[in-house]
Amino acid sequence: MYYGRATDKLVQEQGECGGVITAVLIAAVEQKLVDGALVIKRGESIYDGAPYFATTKEEITEAAGSLHCAPTLSAKLIKNDFNGARDLRIAVTCKPCDARAIIELSKRNQIDLDNVYMIGVNCGGTMLPGPAREMIRQFFDIDPEDVVKEEIDKGKLIIITKDGQHKELSIDDLEAEGYGRRTNCQRCEYNIPRMADLACGNWGVIGDDAGKVTFVEVRTEKGQKLLDTAIAAGAITLKDAPPQGIALREKLDGIMVKMARKAMATQFAQFDGERKFERLFAQFDKCDGCRECIDVCPICSCVECFTKQEFVVPKDTVPPDPMFHLTRLMHVSPSCVNCGQCENVCPKKIPLATITHMVQSSVQGTLGYVPGQSTADAIPLCKIAEVKA
Amino acid sequence: MSQAEDATEMDERQWEPSILTFCCNWCSYAGADGAGTARMQYPPNARVIRVMCTGRINPLFIVKGFLAGADMVMVLGCHFGDCHYLKGNYACDMRMSYLKAYLQAIGINPERLYWDQISASEGIKFTETMRNVVAKAKALGPIANEIGAYAHGTRQNRSILGMSVFDACANGAGENGSTTQEIAEDIW
Repeated sequence: MYYGRATDKLVQEQGECGGVITAVLIAAVEQKLVDGALVIKRGESIYDGAPYFATTKEEITEAAGSLHCAPTLSAKLIKNDFNGARDLRIAVTCKPCDARAIIELSKRNQIDLDNVYMIGVNCGGTMLPGPAREMIRQFFDIDPEDVVKEEIDKGKLIIITKDGQHKELSIDDLEAEGYGRRTNCQRCEYNIPRMADLACGNWGVIGDDAGKVTFVEVRTEKGQKLLDTAIAAGAITLKDAPPQGIALREKLDGIMVKMARKAMATQFAQFDGERKFERLFAQFDKCDGCRECIDVCPICSCVECFTKQEFVVPKDTVPPDPMFHLTRLMHVSPSCVNCGQCENVCPKKIPLATITHMVQSSVQGTLGYVPGQSTADAIPLCKIAEVKA
Repeated sequence: MSQAEDATEMDERQWEPSILTFCCNWCSYAGADGAGTARMQYPPNARVIRVMCTGRINPLFIVKGFLAGADMVMVLGCHFGDCHYLKGNYACDMRMSYLKAYLQAIGINPERLYWDQISASEGIKFTETMRNVVAKAKALGPIANEIGAYAHGTRQNRSILGMSVFDACANGAGENGSTTQEIAEDIW
């Protein structure tokens, strides 16, 4: 575990905390370790972030810095638009859910993990652009377009405006009002991307270094390769992280996990109790059957979808037959990485991710499977092949 | 329609659980056959579907069974080590434990799913199991208590697994007394 810093002055400034990730990406592309970097590039404002395949130093530098209002998911993008990274090597910046989704897809032979270098970034949660704008107008009382930078730190949402004003509000308070992070992020127990090749972030940086260096943890051989390439190219400098820093990072992680468990309990409680089935279907019956949730889901990757079989789900009824949702739940919930995409794209605002996560928390005990942690453990319902006969 | 009303009235007076039963071709179906040939008496609530192996049972068939109005679903397979296809029953065992947790999560009592192993020679065990399960189903009450109107298939309205005989029944075919209806009545 190291503290790292980019050597290039421009990268240092553009980057969030010392610019290690930007520098590593640039080195990886320039030293031909990868063909390009899949990054999130800022568009018009801080509410506008889109995935971008950068292949030059300039393009990567442009995408430096973090965005908290761009809840994208790169896993399905790699599968669909980059042919599962089968014929090119990609370095990708990942939130923990991105990394978990990529691992789940690689287990399903949809992504060639050998060609994907995952640079994980700590993530305390992301916000949807629309509600974020509304929240800033309402609670901070400033024009959302004036905000030039936002940061989530120590349970607070901090925003910085054009004229240099700093404002902060407690995330707990915002979430009590129904704003703040996406609901799936509130429930997320994975804030440090330990499943990625490199786990980076600002947690655990203490003393004079605060804000100037990035905490880097090497998780895999590929991660080591990325760092070695960057060091050989002279792009970053590393020093060992102090033990207090490491302890602080663990502590922060612990606090976030506790908060997540609390959020889980409160959010799942809305469905608990009598007539649970009907209460779930009060939500599901809003469905139009647009199948958007299936399109974005990083777990749904079957060529022939079971819900398209007419004997399971009769065609062309609105709302779709209950079997549509029950099939989706059964197929997705053991492996759901809680990325929240289904919920975000749903035109009817059905709390799909919440329900899937709830089912997952119920079946997890039986299956003993935590999705997206490593490629070593098989997908639960495929394990049968290994059973002693 | 009048038929449906009759059924409801009958339900209120005397409700009998319907139990969807999946039997494996090699063991438990033969066991049931054995019970039949030996003229052993057991309650007639089960509707048996024969599958080649319990490993073929997609857990969603069972979920669909509940939606189609089955009050309990019973899965009967071979004993471990006896599977004709070596490990189909291991697969089933794993899926059933997963399915129970899943049913719990979606608000269906996991007790409504019964999974047991009955070999070809265990006709007696088959009749005993059947009696126990019917008693259990009666104690649990109709599925509609848990999933309400989603149990459309309570006798008339929906098909189980899209099987044509039930479909015909659902469409009210044979109100004029065709054979399909007779068959369907026999089954339901």
